[in-house]
Amino acid sequence: MFGLMALILAVLTIAAYVLGRRRATAAAGGDLSVLHSRPVYHGAYAALLTFLAAFAAAAVAALVLRWFVDGSLNSLISELAPSLSSIERDLVRSDAAAISGGGFPSRVDELRQTVAARHGTLAGLSAVLIPGLALAAGLATLWTALKRVNVDFRARNLSERIVMGVLIAAAVVAILTTVGILTSLIGETARFFSQIPVHKFLFGSTWSPLSGVFEGRLDQERVGALPLFAGTLLITFIAMLVALPIGLFAAIYLAEYASPRMRSTVKPILEILAGVPTVVYGFFAAITVAPVIRGIGEALGLSVASESALGAGLVMGVMIIPFISSLSDDVITAVPQALRDGSLGLGSTHAETIKKVVLPAALPGLVSAALLGFARAIGETMIVVMAAGQGANFTFNPLEAVTTVTVQIVMLITGDTEASTAAGPAFALGFTLFVVTLGFNIVAQRLVRKYREAYD
Amino acid sequence: MTLTMENSVGAPAAQAAPRNDLKFACRGVNVHYGDAHAIKDLAIDIEDRLVTAFIGPSGCGKSTFLRCLNRMNDTIAICRVTGDLKLDGEDIYAPRVDPVQLRARVGMVFQKPNPFPKSIYDNVAYGPRIHGLTSNREELDELVEASLTKAGLWNEVKDRLDKPGTGLSGGQQQRLCIARAIATKPEVLLMDEPCSALDPIATDRIEQLIGELRSQFCIVIVTHSMQQAARVSQKTAFFHLGHLVEYGDTTDIFNKPRDKRTEDYINGRFG
Repeated sequence: MFGLMALILAVLTIAAYVLGRRRATAAAGGDLSVLHSRPVYHGAYAALLTFLAAFAAAAVAALVLRWFVDGSLNSLISELAPSLSSIERDLVRSDAAAISGGGFPSRVDELRQTVAARHGTLAGLSAVLIPGLALAAGLATLWTALKRVNVDFRARNLSERIVMGVLIAAAVVAILTTVGILTSLIGETARFFSQIPVHKFLFGSTWSPLSGVFEGRLDQERVGALPLFAGTLLITFIAMLVALPIGLFAAIYLAEYASPRMRSTVKPILEILAGVPTVVYGFFAAITVAPVIRGIGEALGLSVASESALGAGLVMGVMIIPFISSLSDDVITAVPQALRDGSLGLGSTHAETIKKVVLPAALPGLVSAALLGFARAIGETMIVVMAAGQGANFTFNPLEAVTTVTVQIVMLITGDTEASTAAGPAFALGFTLFVVTLGFNIVAQRLVRKYREAYD
Repeated sequence: MTLTMENSVGAPAAQAAPRNDLKFACRGVNVHYGDAHAIKDLAIDIEDRLVTAFIGPSGCGKSTFLRCLNRMNDTIAICRVTGDLKLDGEDIYAPRVDPVQLRARVGMVFQKPNPFPKSIYDNVAYGPRIHGLTSNREELDELVEASLTKAGLWNEVKDRLDKPGTGLSGGQQQRLCIARAIATKPEVLLMDEPCSALDPIATDRIEQLIGELRSQFCIVIVTHSMQQAARVSQKTAFFHLGHLVEYGDTTDIFNKPRDKRTEDYINGRFG
């Protein structure tokens, strides 16, 4: 099915390109300069249009057929077994699909066999209809496109416009996804807050949201997320304390002082650090760093939990270093040499030049780098799960076990509590995280705009 | 260019200058960029309180030599300078000379205006602040005003000293860079094609300014425009393929060049 579609699309597109080109060449009658657009553009125009039409036809046909098949199977099931609930009906349908498609159904019975037979017929129909419709739409478009080819036809401008449309569509997809995430967050969060007062959630200091689920409802007194916010803040703070200075200083060294050979060695190594999966950092933190911290702490006479915010924060900081250093290095290198020359020419030292000219000029980019690191720190889950524990202690002591917002979201969603119960607190946490990060971003952008030194 | 060869070269503004104190005395200067030999055994004396122009076709080494005079070439890793370069009788490449301090004495103005992305005031105050030239805000204010006045920019910017220097026009930016350079109170001003990015009116303004500044500084200017050399300088040096071909009073260079290559160049036969 997929292979056939790909083949049809490829053949149509290539044919459209070749035919469009040939037709344009023929229309020129030996003197290509009379054409408004060169033959390649006519080919590209026909190919783009044909591809898009065939693709759109296939997509629309698939959606409509899917809707039709589901409807038809549902009515068949309710005819044969009127007592089934809608969830059971969906199960029967997916089993039937598995039977007819050669998969693994959860069970096989007479009802399922009958439905599977109907499913088989309909699936066979769509397997012919979808490629057929795509082919028909493609051919029709190809024919109209070819008819339009003449010496004055502006295929060059039009094909560029089609490409622009594709680019816009890509941008719209990104925006729509964000909007979609936001909408789903808002819906669930609103439902959660209709049961739980906002202040109990934001300022309550006991986090044990699932302790009341046996009564089927959340206990207001046990969904206080303050310990999670405290834990998140603490770990993020420790991580940034490590990552910001080290990342920035490393970037300054790489961009300003390192010889080209040194730079070409060190930079890739730093970037390898960014490629290490966070799970690996997580067990590094839990197995290697935590005992060391504990040993040092005990030697100093402190009581250190075996899972501590300090260990998780330190390792998270190391994880974030390459993000900050790599981006900072790029923005520092992008500061024009003319500015450095100007400063050196006035008799300032290299360090003065960096401090007073280069870094201020690079400030907006440096803040972006820091923000990126901050976002990584707030969103990081794996290291915290492994190295900081899961106990929702309300503390700012870095030597104790803490938990973060993201870890609790994971716990809620992956636990064996029913999704509908766990979703409320999880979405509320996610929403809070989103709002905080967004607010932080906006404030930072404002600050940058105020203090920026544009060098264009 | 609005001016033609005849009216500028035929009647150069500059007259033969009286002999001044020597500022730079250079002997046997060689510059290498990696394997490329950019300056070949160059010797030149540059006088104080007049304008010396370096002319020559692209790649002849004039900018390279200019950048030797304040050791800006030190910032280029592959560049190697040998020979004897003396400023006021003192070897500027001696190990005990700090290039940073040298550059405070020998200011530089670059080809493309490069104001810092800071306010106009902070641009001019940059050098004085670094070198601690003033002890309080009033003195700094005075120095900034005096420098901008000398650069002929004060009246245009006095109401917007806190606005970014990058918001000025190209010609104003270049005068800001000159103000910035003279605020450091240098003895020498090096100018590397200071007008090549400017329109004729802004160029004219800078050339007037050079004329006004030469009573206080030793000025060395690299230029691609022979008319400009003729208009602003009293001494001219013609560079070709890393050699200093001819050096003398500007009037002599333009009216009776001794070397065939100089004559060909100033008559526009090559370059």
